[in-house]
Amino acid sequence: MRFHALALAACLVLPGLAIFEDDAYHVDYHHALVGLPKHDTTFFQQPYAGSKASLLYTLSQKQVIAAVNPKDGALVWRQRLSGQRGMLRAGEEQDTVVSATGDSITAWSASDGRLAWEARMNGATVEDLEILEQEDGITNVDSKDAIILLGGGSPSVRRLDGKTGRVKWVYTDTSGDIPFQVSTSPTTVYYISLHTPILGGSKLKVTSLSPITGKKLDQYTLSSEGEIQSREHILFAGANTAAPLLAWTDKSNKVLKVNIIGTKGVSTFAPPSTDVVEKIILHAPNRVNSLAHFLVEYQTTAGHSAEIYHVDLKKNTISKAYSLPELGGKGTFTTTTSDANVYFTRITKDELTVVSSASHGILGRWPIKGLPSLAAAHPVHGVSEVVVKSGSASAVRSAVLFSNGQWVLVRNGEVAWQRPEFLSDTVSAVWAELPEEEALAHELEVEGHQNVFAAYIHRVKRHVRDLEHFPAWLQNIPNQILSNLLGKSQENAIGDIQHDTFGFHKLVVVATEPGRLAALDVGSRGKLLWNIDLQQYAPEATFVRPSLKASRGYVEVKDEGFEGSLLVNTTTGGLLSPKDIDLQPPVTSDAQTFVAFDLVDGELKGFFGTDYSSDPVWTFNPPDGEKIVNFASRPVKDPVASIGKVLGDRRVLYKYLNPNLVLVTAVLKSTHTASFYLLDSASGELLHAISHHDVDVSRPIPSTFSENWFSYSLTIDSTSDPASRGYQLVVAELFESDIPDDRGPLGASSNSSTLQPSSATGDVAKPYVLSQTYQIAEEISHMTVTQTKQGITSRELLVTLPSSNAIVGIPRHIIDPRRPVGRDPTTSEATEGLTKYTPFIFIDPKWHLNHKYEVIGIKGVITSESGLESTSLVFAYGQDIFGTRVAPSFAFDVLGKGFNKVQMLLTVAALFVGVLFVAPLVGRKQINSLWTM
Amino acid sequence: MSALPPPPPQWVIDLNSTPASKPKNLSIPDPPGYTAALSSKQRSQSSKTAVRKAPTTEEMDTLKMKKAWELAIAPAKQLPMNAIGTLCANSHLYLGMYMTGNTLQIFSIFMVFTLFKTPVIAVLSLQRVFAPFETPGTSGRLIGVKIVYVLMNMLMLGLGIWKVNQMGLLPTTRSDWLAWEGERTWSERAVPRQWL
Repeated sequence: MRFHALALAACLVLPGLAIFEDDAYHVDYHHALVGLPKHDTTFFQQPYAGSKASLLYTLSQKQVIAAVNPKDGALVWRQRLSGQRGMLRAGEEQDTVVSATGDSITAWSASDGRLAWEARMNGATVEDLEILEQEDGITNVDSKDAIILLGGGSPSVRRLDGKTGRVKWVYTDTSGDIPFQVSTSPTTVYYISLHTPILGGSKLKVTSLSPITGKKLDQYTLSSEGEIQSREHILFAGANTAAPLLAWTDKSNKVLKVNIIGTKGVSTFAPPSTDVVEKIILHAPNRVNSLAHFLVEYQTTAGHSAEIYHVDLKKNTISKAYSLPELGGKGTFTTTTSDANVYFTRITKDELTVVSSASHGILGRWPIKGLPSLAAAHPVHGVSEVVVKSGSASAVRSAVLFSNGQWVLVRNGEVAWQRPEFLSDTVSAVWAELPEEEALAHELEVEGHQNVFAAYIHRVKRHVRDLEHFPAWLQNIPNQILSNLLGKSQENAIGDIQHDTFGFHKLVVVATEPGRLAALDVGSRGKLLWNIDLQQYAPEATFVRPSLKASRGYVEVKDEGFEGSLLVNTTTGGLLSPKDIDLQPPVTSDAQTFVAFDLVDGELKGFFGTDYSSDPVWTFNPPDGEKIVNFASRPVKDPVASIGKVLGDRRVLYKYLNPNLVLVTAVLKSTHTASFYLLDSASGELLHAISHHDVDVSRPIPSTFSENWFSYSLTIDSTSDPASRGYQLVVAELFESDIPDDRGPLGASSNSSTLQPSSATGDVAKPYVLSQTYQIAEEISHMTVTQTKQGITSRELLVTLPSSNAIVGIPRHIIDPRRPVGRDPTTSEATEGLTKYTPFIFIDPKWHLNHKYEVIGIKGVITSESGLESTSLVFAYGQDIFGTRVAPSFAFDVLGKGFNKVQMLLTVAALFVGVLFVAPLVGRKQINSLWTM
Repeated sequence: MSALPPPPPQWVIDLNSTPASKPKNLSIPDPPGYTAALSSKQRSQSSKTAVRKAPTTEEMDTLKMKKAWELAIAPAKQLPMNAIGTLCANSHLYLGMYMTGNTLQIFSIFMVFTLFKTPVIAVLSLQRVFAPFETPGTSGRLIGVKIVYVLMNMLMLGLGIWKVNQMGLLPTTRSDWLAWEGERTWSERAVPRQWL
């Protein structure tokens, strides 16, 4: 036991590359995103019966079920579903929410998101899901069963037990109609299908089933073939209301037809205005005991209006009660039930009004205090909770999705929180400098181009100009000192004056799939700075996968969907014209021959300059019909601190440092082969080739290149080779020569060319490649390498592990290809820090950068240098946004949080006081000793 | 005004008035191993018994040369000890390296420092060291001695250098000059098209 304790203590004491506890949640930030919430699957609900507070549940367009705390917008839990069309329902006073997607129906514990039960309907897809609230007019208090509609070959309606998911009865429809939806009333289950004759539109067929036995009670058909041409024309098939409704419209939204399910009568209504109605939305309460009132929203190009209808259950008629006036601009309506009363909340850009379904009097009105982030956006859809006291609405909170992708909770007109859910579609991201730094860099560049005298004048002028910040800076000093002493981080906000000492403040510009561009400040925990729709700059373009490139002060956006590129200001998100800015010269110096290469028709081709119409300089085509899937080259900025690797005996292995290296990944599906070709992209010369067999080429094969080493990961095909399975990580390092102290065929010459090799070397100097393969436990979906300012700090391989929702930094010395194989390291190897090769790399939990966060759906990770050499900034994007700072060689150039500044000052003060006291004593003693001589 | 000097302290009085070297009563024998100091009379008697002839100048020169040679060879005699010391220090150094991870030990640094300092100081004070042996007769022959002395000191210095090299402080390998070696400049630069 004691030994264990000792071992544990040793583990704790040993310096491990890990996130320090006091750094966690300070240096990193995480936007746990859900995705844009869908209208019909978002609702407020008590997590368990009798709970006072409710949670906000949603199933998003990204198929993520989430529970969000309406107080602060924090994510309570989330679960990711696979499949396309998902549904989410919750019964009243239940402690589970039920979701359906694909062929599986799952119940989740509403308070913590744990799995309650799962039912799989092999092969079939779930078309609809409802909760059976009442059975023969009696509320089932224990657990409410789910009614599902299965599509596929023979559609069927099933009732699943609310506790276990066991099937209670099955009704199979053999008529060949297209299943559409199920709906329940207190006494009956209705199965609605589309009966499509050969010509014309669809008829709606309603079948009533007994909720207890599932037997067919009745069936009737509504003649809707004149209007319904596609599913979109059916507006509403009422769920769980006292009077379930079926509403549809025609193609041009000129007519609204409503049927009370269970009756054969169809009421016809016309939109109120003469304007072309773009969209009709029917809002109805979904509670069994609520009043049978509903609201029809008409959206036109100019504005929106609504009409409220009442259903008379005795006479089975529908009549219009009143209408809400048309308002310009866009808005949305939400439905809330409180006991039997139904309230409608109208949310527009400027205000929020609550009306009762019974009369048109406004119960409450709140102007929305607009935030700058919502300035150009309008509400799309939402859900509300209303508190009504003595005839007037005293409080209302609405979770509204705005058109700019922000999911906002408006509480009595004030924005309580907002979640940038549009970021969950991020497909590319790029680092950009802060505007102040760029301005300084520009000034310095100006000085660099002038003569000494003019540059001096310029600098003095600049410093005089900077003096205007001096008073503010002076005022800020006490605060700064205080926060420094108390150990508070001043990372919350960065003003204009406050200097970014450590260079942690950078911008990341991200682009999302629907064509949205946003900037985040990584120094302020990923705060959203601006957010624009690219569509407004290029109205005719459709954005598929925007790619970004940052230059000084602007970001260049390119996409397959349109020609040319958009230039967007990094600070404001405004569009720039190419005339406004001086375009940056390419990355080369003047003396260098410039070659650009790209994947053209499955071949890698290099061109002189930027002229792609001319004949290529070189073409690389992998042999045997292999297909190039990817290529990785060294980063634009890849500083190398030392050009050689010092061995234990103080000799040097010289690194093969060629900026033009590119690693091409090619696969051949038929033979399960993945090949990697190392090319010199200036000459197209093949320097090295590796081929792996029995590779599952359908899985991602990420690769990365940095300095003089590259790395890639493979999934071994589980079907072909029983000897070895799993995932492999390969690391290869390039040296100029395998002999220490030797610089290879190029010798000590300081320049080199691969296009015109010198006569001495004859052919292009090929590198000496050392590589090692490691078995890893998980699949890697993406990999990249940390970057620092001067490249002195050792690098770390950042890999994304999708199965454990993690981003892991593997230290470079673990994957050093020079690790001795099959023997212990010699003394000199041990001094280098090399350890014996082990085929399996255990992914140390300490390497996880995301500690307690779960980062899901990461598409890419980008890294950047910071102002400190020890630290590299990391930003991960995809479904989630995650950012952190890593120090692979520890933070050697900055004081840690454990450093007690107060104690240090006190020590100095105490020493000073001590000296003051001791000085006379010592003086007296010295004089005395003189006298006694 | 001048004050009277204070009376001499007790110890001065004691020093000046030593007790009689020998008690009058000789009946008490001296303790074994004690040789009583000779009285002045006895001393003069004994010196008379061993009268020595004063050496000649040649003899004196030969003696001085002998002494000078001894002095010149002295550093070489220290050499083995130093070498062993350094060897020990080396092993200690290695041990230290092993234990603390490539740090220079304060002991070995001091040791190396003395190894460098001693010969240099010795060579600098060459004239002073051999001044007692400088006579008109020996001055010619002393040059050789001095050269040997300097050589011996150089030997010690060499030992110091050897040790410094062993400690890895001398830039004798390729890695020591690596920082001055530059990356090759490539006359071509190729970039992926999406970077443009």
